[in-house]
Amino acid sequence: MASRKTNELVRMRKERWLVMMQLLPVMLVLVLLFGGALVLGVAQSLGFAPWFGVNTFPDLTYFKALWGEPSFWRSLWLTLYYAIAATVISLVLGILVALALVRRFRSKTLYKYLYKLPLMIPYTVGIALAVIMLGNGGMISRFMEFVGLIDDPSQFPQILKTHMGWGIIAVYVWKQTPFVALTIYAVLLGVGRETEEAAAILGANKRQVFFLVTLPQIMPGIISSTLIIFAFNIGAFEAPFILGGGFPDTLPVVAWRYFNDADYTLQLQGMATVVSIALMASGILYSYLAIYRRYERRIGRH
Amino acid sequence: MKTLWVALSLTGGLLTSAAFAQDLDAFRDAVTSGEIAWEDVQARAQEEGEINLYYWGGSDQINVWMDRFAAPGLEAEGVTLNPVRITSTKDAVDLVLAELGSGKGLGEGSVDAIWVNGENFATLKQQNALFGAFADKLPNSANIEWNAEDPRALLNLRDFGVETNAAEMPWSGQQYVCAVNTERVPKENAPSTFAELHDYLTANPGKFAYVKPPHYIGNTFVQAAVYAHNPDGDGARPFQKSIDELGAAELARLIKPGMEYLKELDGLLLGASGSGARYPEDPSALQGLFLNGEIDFSCNFGLYGVAIGLRDGTFPEGAEQFVFPEGNMIKNKNYLVIPGNAPNPAAALVMANYMASVEAQASKLEIAGMPPGVDPWRLTEEEVAQLTAASPGFVGITQAELDANTAPDTNATLVDVIEATWLEHIQRDSTDSIEKIVERAVANLN
Amino acid sequence: MARRTESTTALGDRLSPFQKLYLWLIAGFILGPFIPLIVQSFAFRWAWPDLLPSTWWLEQREESIVPLAWDYVFSPYSQVWEATVNTVFIGCVVTVICLIICLPAARVLARESFRGKAAFEFFLSMPLIVPEAAIGIALLMIFIYVGLAGTYTGIIIVHLIPTIPYMIRMLTAVYQGLGRDFEEQAMILGASRWQVLRLVTLPMLLPGVIAGALFTFLVSTNIFLLTFFMGQGKIITLPTLLFSKISGGTLDASAAGITLVVTLPGIILLLITERFIKEEAFGKGFGN
Repeated sequence: MASRKTNELVRMRKERWLVMMQLLPVMLVLVLLFGGALVLGVAQSLGFAPWFGVNTFPDLTYFKALWGEPSFWRSLWLTLYYAIAATVISLVLGILVALALVRRFRSKTLYKYLYKLPLMIPYTVGIALAVIMLGNGGMISRFMEFVGLIDDPSQFPQILKTHMGWGIIAVYVWKQTPFVALTIYAVLLGVGRETEEAAAILGANKRQVFFLVTLPQIMPGIISSTLIIFAFNIGAFEAPFILGGGFPDTLPVVAWRYFNDADYTLQLQGMATVVSIALMASGILYSYLAIYRRYERRIGRH
Repeated sequence: MKTLWVALSLTGGLLTSAAFAQDLDAFRDAVTSGEIAWEDVQARAQEEGEINLYYWGGSDQINVWMDRFAAPGLEAEGVTLNPVRITSTKDAVDLVLAELGSGKGLGEGSVDAIWVNGENFATLKQQNALFGAFADKLPNSANIEWNAEDPRALLNLRDFGVETNAAEMPWSGQQYVCAVNTERVPKENAPSTFAELHDYLTANPGKFAYVKPPHYIGNTFVQAAVYAHNPDGDGARPFQKSIDELGAAELARLIKPGMEYLKELDGLLLGASGSGARYPEDPSALQGLFLNGEIDFSCNFGLYGVAIGLRDGTFPEGAEQFVFPEGNMIKNKNYLVIPGNAPNPAAALVMANYMASVEAQASKLEIAGMPPGVDPWRLTEEEVAQLTAASPGFVGITQAELDANTAPDTNATLVDVIEATWLEHIQRDSTDSIEKIVERAVANLN
Repeated sequence: MARRTESTTALGDRLSPFQKLYLWLIAGFILGPFIPLIVQSFAFRWAWPDLLPSTWWLEQREESIVPLAWDYVFSPYSQVWEATVNTVFIGCVVTVICLIICLPAARVLARESFRGKAAFEFFLSMPLIVPEAAIGIALLMIFIYVGLAGTYTGIIIVHLIPTIPYMIRMLTAVYQGLGRDFEEQAMILGASRWQVLRLVTLPMLLPGVIAGALFTFLVSTNIFLLTFFMGQGKIITLPTLLFSKISGGTLDASAAGITLVVTLPGIILLLITERFIKEEAFGKGFGN
């Protein structure tokens, strides 16, 4: 009796050890590097940087200096605004594409290649396209001159390099609409159309079918895709750097400018900035997920 | 027994590295005192074999010249050129200082030479990171005027007002010149003073922009404006003093009218009618605006900028240079410096010598449009003819006009303060007085 | 999987005219901007307000001392070849390593349960949420300390951070769909562990593994900020090369050419994925 129990325990311990071993490499990378970088960033933002000759840990002065400046809050607002606007627009556009993709139409196979293109190429290409199309000297502006609407580039409405950020949002939307479309389309394929058809047979019109049947079905896809693209947008650097309106920039660009300064105290303030970004991103996304889980529990999915 | 071996090999290693270091120090002393024969330097350079030149890689023309002319030219002397393109000169300076700080001395660093001027040189000098006085001791140093009595030697002896002590070799000269597109704006209408610029922009708002500080080209525009609005009327002279000599209060008094002018101009610049003036981040962005006609004038360091720009399509066809700002077209030189922990010092000297040769200067002028850093009055007639033939030529301006409107850069120590003042006063739109801002900036220097 | 039925109800199976127009607009939005990009890469001078270049590259080719446009892009001065080789090499190595370390981890996550599993899964997703900008500089400091800054190894390790979450999600989904039954039945029928792995598990995993691998390669080849920091200017990839070319906000002919070159791997990847991967495989990783 006793020996069987110990055998059991030994087996369990060996199994657990096996589990740990299989998880170990991934853990190493994530905990050591990713976790380590986070910890280092937080430590520096709190004043622990002996290699710079600064060790005033724990020190809130960098955060106070950062959060005390009104330009920081403007930057925060801009970061959120570009992220939210781009996410919402990509979501709507992507869902519409996905809804069309479940239908049959000629050259559908070709279209399925086409719409995925932006997914495969870096953001910087999207930025180059925005520059060539939307700039004051860009193609749309030249076309407007051609048809006689304007006769000087300055008369073209400023799209790039303003704080309204249409250029930045356009690049995000260009890159992310296919992602949303792909995710929602995959979910739609998995879910099938029977429920929709049943509802139609029972007399629901198109709008009711969409809002009451389709939308709840694709909700998990909506949540996960918007989560990913919103998280990306908050932390994005290239587009706001090249296409942004200058001071005050979005937070990642602000952090970059601090890091590039020779003054070492500004480096630590840069760390405070990135910690603020991480805090904000995690906070928003965690509450987003929490709200969704509560909604799911309410409708009884889990 | 084992311990004995370990001890012996350690001592041996220490002795050889000590001998190595001593040997390098002896070499450096021989060079800086002028006692070494050039053949010995060349032989040593061939032993070292390669030279790592760190330079700003943002110009395609310069990159092409490096690969196509400089590399073979040095190969002929038995030294392999390793051109390292960097995005910002400051990165190379930081690297040298970091390596110096971690104990890497002469022969042990990574950087053999850097293309620098101004603040970056001042930083190296201040941190004692220089190889030493080599630039007047090379065979081709004869192409450069080192005589302190001759006023024309100023830019060889002082870099942004800081004494070079022959620690850097002049490589190119430059002058700040503006271009206008004569197909859009008749040349007569191009402004020659800041006041005229202001009037032009009042009539044509939004048709001008300058590169944003802290980029050095932006700083140059700000400097020119400050000179032109000097309340005492003596232009650049007081700005040659260092910040310690001037003091924050005096500096504030001198730059105040210039800063206020720039603040007023800010409301008339590109984009000002919309959400605020948009300053391009670098000269290529500025050129793009100029090409598309979004701005009417484009100012940059580039005596031959228009000629080169016409040649590669970045400038519109009607582009011409013109005199602006009158009396304050800043002229300077840029240099090649050898840091104190260069791994291949002899090869670096051979490279510096090559770069100062008329042959290298001529091909660099022709391919990249970089004006020569050697002084024409030190050259023979054929050499001067060679340089003239290689020149891409001025477009719309004469040498006489350029010579009549020169001004030097400010002292290197003033650059950060003026830049910080611009950022506070104009970009951040601070309500603090100029005096306060300058005081803060000076305090932050330390 | 649901069946696709030929429906004759009011829902219809064809596109409405609005949807047709909409799909055209989206296609134009996605592909349209490439046209002026291609034109710019062949231009010598193309200024506002010209709809076509005033001077073409081919006309000026002979007269220029320095290579222009496509000559420049294919010349050694542009560093395009070096960047391409680096990008593909790093992408492949990252994909292989990511696959090797994520397969066992995904198996564990799909099958076993252990204390702290939920926390672990949350931590796994964190790199998706915390932006590169937040960890970039700190990572650089760590790597300088270890001496890995500016090396291929350093970049490869750093690329693992954003790719692991994606790979694990897709592999976990695949394992979950796999089910133990097949493996157990094979073992009952007498197959050894190795045979089970080779003849049962791997073939069933393959589609998901390929999808995960392609996606990881995709993510790795598009990473800019981490590569920029870690590469220290010594190692350039296509994203960093392109960024330094257009960071001024203007696009000349050679920059347009480089942009097109950077797009090329993406197009090849697109052709491969579309041929071999069904939509569902991508969706599985993200639909939940």
